[in-house]
Amino acid sequence: MDAFLNGFLALTDPSLLLLLVAATLGGVIIGALPGLNATTGAALLLPFTLTMEPVAAISILTAIYCSATFAGAITAILINTPGTSASATTCLDGYPLALRGEAGRALGMAVVASTIGGVLSVICLMIAAPVLARAAYNFAPPEYFALTLFGLSMLVSVGGGSPIKNLIAGAFGILLATVGVDLLTSVKRFTFDVPQLHEGIGFVPVMIGVFGISELLSQASALHQKREQVTMKAIKLPSMADYKKVWKTILRSTGIGTFIGILPAEGATVASMIGYNEARRWSKTPEEFGKGAIEGIAGSEAANNSATGGAMVPTLALGIPGSPTAAVILAGLLVHGLRPGPTMFTEQADFAFAIFWSMLFVNLLFLVIGLYGAKVFARVTLIPIRMLWPSVFIFSIVGAYALDQSMFDVWIAIVSGIIGYFMRVYGFSVVPLAIGLILGGMLEQRLGQSMVMLDEQWWLIATRPLSAFFLILTAIALFGPALWKLITGQRPAFKKGS
Amino acid sequence: MKTPLNPDRRARWLVPICIILFCIVALYFTTTFKKMPPILKRGIQPSDFPQLVCLLIVSLTLLMVWKDPVRIVERVTSKSWMTMGLMIGFVALMQVDLFLALGAFAATLTMLWGERRPLNIALVGILIPTTVFFLFDLVFKIRFPRGLLTSLWYG
Repeated sequence: MDAFLNGFLALTDPSLLLLLVAATLGGVIIGALPGLNATTGAALLLPFTLTMEPVAAISILTAIYCSATFAGAITAILINTPGTSASATTCLDGYPLALRGEAGRALGMAVVASTIGGVLSVICLMIAAPVLARAAYNFAPPEYFALTLFGLSMLVSVGGGSPIKNLIAGAFGILLATVGVDLLTSVKRFTFDVPQLHEGIGFVPVMIGVFGISELLSQASALHQKREQVTMKAIKLPSMADYKKVWKTILRSTGIGTFIGILPAEGATVASMIGYNEARRWSKTPEEFGKGAIEGIAGSEAANNSATGGAMVPTLALGIPGSPTAAVILAGLLVHGLRPGPTMFTEQADFAFAIFWSMLFVNLLFLVIGLYGAKVFARVTLIPIRMLWPSVFIFSIVGAYALDQSMFDVWIAIVSGIIGYFMRVYGFSVVPLAIGLILGGMLEQRLGQSMVMLDEQWWLIATRPLSAFFLILTAIALFGPALWKLITGQRPAFKKGS
Repeated sequence: MKTPLNPDRRARWLVPICIILFCIVALYFTTTFKKMPPILKRGIQPSDFPQLVCLLIVSLTLLMVWKDPVRIVERVTSKSWMTMGLMIGFVALMQVDLFLALGAFAATLTMLWGERRPLNIALVGILIPTTVFFLFDLVFKIRFPRGLLTSLWYG
């Protein structure tokens, strides 16, 4: 209870509040800008937080996460281009509504559904994360190994790539994590006598490269795309009739989004797709979906924003990222010397609750920003790509350098960016690579510790009940879809995308 | 007469071959890692885990060739190649001065991508790098490597 109140008190610091307002505004701009999303934004801004206190630094990253996820709806509704992939389903009904002259109503619904979804999921986070952490407190290395393996197995369904390609990208990330001095034996691996490689390949320059620089190269192919913005007079709060129509949808999508967010590696994109599909399935007027159904916007937006709170549950309680952006936040926690996991709620409980309160604050803040500023923020979509992305490159390079003040990191960022670009070209998602890099070290360390604990009899990992449970979940995540296809003779009901 | 190979068909084989070759090279390097005596090896040898991962990647790549062949999902346009070329120029100029390289890269890129207004080019090539430099130097206390321009400030 003390931590709960102390966390709230941390938020009464005016400078932190000011930073959160600025980060929320920044997040809304990032979410609305073409090509930029919450993950790229958080990766680019991570170096800016290095000199800050951990509470301020991580609060800023979570603020970017929440607000950028919401802001994707602005471009989805007004220019039929989702600002973030999580808002792709918002386009389906948002843009037709905007074309009918109801852009204000569509944006109003997006703001309200996002806020409700976000707030409820943060409340869920406040309750679930400490409970999950308490449950995980007695985990030994074999349980952690099996849990990390489960987290990695969920990579099959993230990003835009196919499951096999995602696993290859994830394994490549794990291989990159083995570069440097082995923590268990102090043996140098893949260092080629380069001193900068002794400490391994840093998460931050790789993330800046694969999310920022590779996107820049992708944008070079999209220069010819023209965007036409639908005019909007004013944003309108939903009417009573709208509320009556959508309240069940919002609650259902919030539940779905929070649950999907809690699953390791699954993020707002999958949540919004399922939220949208379920909204259509339960609707009395499913034929309106795709033509401007207000329930479609509510279902999609409540789900994608509630996934942000859900994704922070495994990130903070278990140290397993709940989504791609949560992976960047996890990297931020590690860079600041914090150890996410069960001990966070015993040794750094004030910090954890300060993050929860700041997320709650941000979710309420973008209600205000969304209602009064959406029209202004919609204008940032008009910033030409040819000016935006060269500027992003400057931030990327300086950000990559700033972490360790090392030019070697700049090289890593550029090389990662080019590799990331070609991965995209050949249909591999870059998200599993980043998550594999973060979790790879943990996986190996926990395997080594398990081997010591179990006297080098690795198969005993599967004989421990909780480890066995996670290994079964891993098998389901890896082989479930194929088995489902085999049993039913068809593909799963929905295809998970980027 | 031979017809040129379809890019998708070329990618189908070229990408897996590159991945497998990469893994073979990585596997070779793992054999050069120092071996620990049994008492010090702490569960696994330093080479065990990377070898396991390399073999996993090779297996998955073979599975990919069979079940989910690689195809090009995003065309590499001439603009993308030129942007990568500019990055090489950036890396070369970086040896002279990081911010000179950043400014020159940003200005050239914005022009390459179609910007013609001098004010906008100056904004991207001069104002933004300068602002970022002073933001990091004065606010975040980050010291950048000395170069032609940065030395003017550092003295």
